Amino acid sequence: MKKIMLLGLLAMLMLGAVVFAQDAEESPYTQEEIDASPYLTSVLARQDEEYDTTAFKKDGPYRIALAAQGTSNAWSALFDAHANWYVEELGTDVISELLYADATASADVQVPQVEDLLAQEPDALILVPMGAAALSAPVERAMAQGVPVILCASTVETDDFVTEVGTNLYGSGAYLAQWLVDELGGEGNVVMMTGIPGVSTSDIMQSGAEAVFAANPGITVLDTQPGQWSTAEGKTLMETWLSQYGDEIDGIWSGGAQMSQGIVSAYLDAGVEIPPIGGGEFANGFLRQAIENEISFAAWQYPNAMVKLCIDTAIQVLQGESVPRFIDFQDYIENTQNFDDSKVEEYFNSTWSDDVSGPILFPEEKLAELGFIVTE
Amino acid sequence: MSAEMWPLPSTTIAVRRFIVQYGVYVSLGIVLVAGIFLTPNLYSSQTLEVIFKQGAQLGIVAIGQTLVLLVSGLDLSMTGVIFMTSVVIARVSNGNDQMLIPAFIVAYGLGGLVGLANGFLVTKRKVPPFVATLGVLILVQGAVQAYTLGVPGGFVPDGLGIVNQSFGFITIPLILWIILSVIFIGVLRLTPYGRRIYAVGSNPIAARLSGLSVNWLVTSAYVLCSLCAVTSGIILTGYVGYVDRFIASGFDLDSIAAAVIGGTSFAGGRGSLLGTIAGVLLIQVLSTMALLLGLDIQVQLIIKGLVILVAVALYSAARVE
Repeated sequence: MKKIMLLGLLAMLMLGAVVFAQDAEESPYTQEEIDASPYLTSVLARQDEEYDTTAFKKDGPYRIALAAQGTSNAWSALFDAHANWYVEELGTDVISELLYADATASADVQVPQVEDLLAQEPDALILVPMGAAALSAPVERAMAQGVPVILCASTVETDDFVTEVGTNLYGSGAYLAQWLVDELGGEGNVVMMTGIPGVSTSDIMQSGAEAVFAANPGITVLDTQPGQWSTAEGKTLMETWLSQYGDEIDGIWSGGAQMSQGIVSAYLDAGVEIPPIGGGEFANGFLRQAIENEISFAAWQYPNAMVKLCIDTAIQVLQGESVPRFIDFQDYIENTQNFDDSKVEEYFNSTWSDDVSGPILFPEEKLAELGFIVTE
Repeated sequence: MSAEMWPLPSTTIAVRRFIVQYGVYVSLGIVLVAGIFLTPNLYSSQTLEVIFKQGAQLGIVAIGQTLVLLVSGLDLSMTGVIFMTSVVIARVSNGNDQMLIPAFIVAYGLGGLVGLANGFLVTKRKVPPFVATLGVLILVQGAVQAYTLGVPGGFVPDGLGIVNQSFGFITIPLILWIILSVIFIGVLRLTPYGRRIYAVGSNPIAARLSGLSVNWLVTSAYVLCSLCAVTSGIILTGYVGYVDRFIASGFDLDSIAAAVIGGTSFAGGRGSLLGTIAGVLLIQVLSTMALLLGLDIQVQLIIKGLVILVAVALYSAARVE
């Protein structure tokens, strides 16, 4: 009997150790890091926080407002296509009307648009904020008016909204950096190409990456410069780095696949071997380059398909179901997790044009209608 | 009693003339010498290739901007034209090298129309150049968005990648920049058309009274400027290999800055393409040096702003008669 009790105790201790080890693994951030990043603090806190939505509960069908990025690039066009497709899929007995506003990627345009949408008294507002500061007041006004706000793909400065659908951008930046550190065996020179300075997505990813590099003294960051999320700017900058550092560059951290495409192009022009790139995405053009040139890379994701999750969340809110205050699409949509070059063939689609960023949830015929299928 | 009422000492006049005529070249020389000590890597073959390749892209646009500035104008629509060119090449050719020539024809045709629209608004409707070309820029961007349904993508033919060829630090864009610069310098200095451009910019009323077709001359400058933007758009599209909506970001203001730093007056009638070339090189060398020094983007912008301000202040002071 004593033996059985002892064995039982040992088993419990081992189980506890395993659980403890898993917990330790699942918390990749130090307390110092969390304290230093208000974004990380907020995301980690909101992940565990539920929003009581009973005040918004009402019977359907619902009129949902979508203040989107709008006509600006392929990502946004596919975001809109996903929204329209999914609303159609759900049918008019679930969503009777989708009120849509096209911000043309401008905060100045979006602020009055949100006011116009609210004047139409929607049941919920899905907002893709074009500016964290500029959209804070409109979000607060919507909540005060009793319209629940679901932030989609970006955030605002105020905390007065129901929930945010996105991903932990700090973690994305850190993942790309950690992959580079591992790839380089903890030692080497890297350059960092960030997005647009001052834009929160870019700054947050950068801070995540910098924390990782700082924790690895064998890694030297030769330079950090913005590539403005542009292929042209990315190539221009990489050319200058190549002229300055040449083969001293052991790895490249990039905050976006558009810039990474410019980086690859600069290397191809220079005829120099391409080092590992921590900065791919599920972007068909980059993946094609990666396959053609056998590039070693890691990719993060920011899928346009996340709007489906935003719509689902809005419906949940209107049905009075409580929702987490931060919803990571990686937990809900397939093929939106970080990946590396070992999976490039799984993600690349030879029938898609270079502009497509996946995953695409709607049928391929719709993609063809939108002109995103390669025709010979 | 204003000091300007007294005749200036001859040495002061000589200094002022020197600043106006040679200020940009001296500045470029100082920066290049400073580069020897601060960033020796500036003179590596690879860095020179980068400077000339990237400088040529801006330089071709700056030729057109200088022409427009010489007739007291300004062209903000050129970034729209460059982006439009990129989209036209990708869409018309659909990645097919054999369709490049038709794509060029369409791009130059549309670019010419944009120039005509700018010229018409400025000369016939008397819209200030800033407003006219800004309006046309928005119109062009809107038309491109409508044409592409908000997806400015497509396939750039591989053949256009020829613009990335280089022979040492001599690149194809650099060769094109040199050819176009020689042509336009010749036109401005040696032909009646060039002299009339200066005359119209200096005093449009006197030019009109002396029988010059002022409207035609001003419009021609806008058309040439747009055609330069199309040329730059073709080079940039081949350079990037993709349709990038930020493909020419900053070229509008940088081209104006290059011309002004090079001594071209906002008031028209004064300036030279040689000065603009030096202005382009000054901007490009400074940008490259800033990167080589690893300066933050904020510092880079401050340096660029200061250079423009100092240049304009010096020219303004030197031109006070």
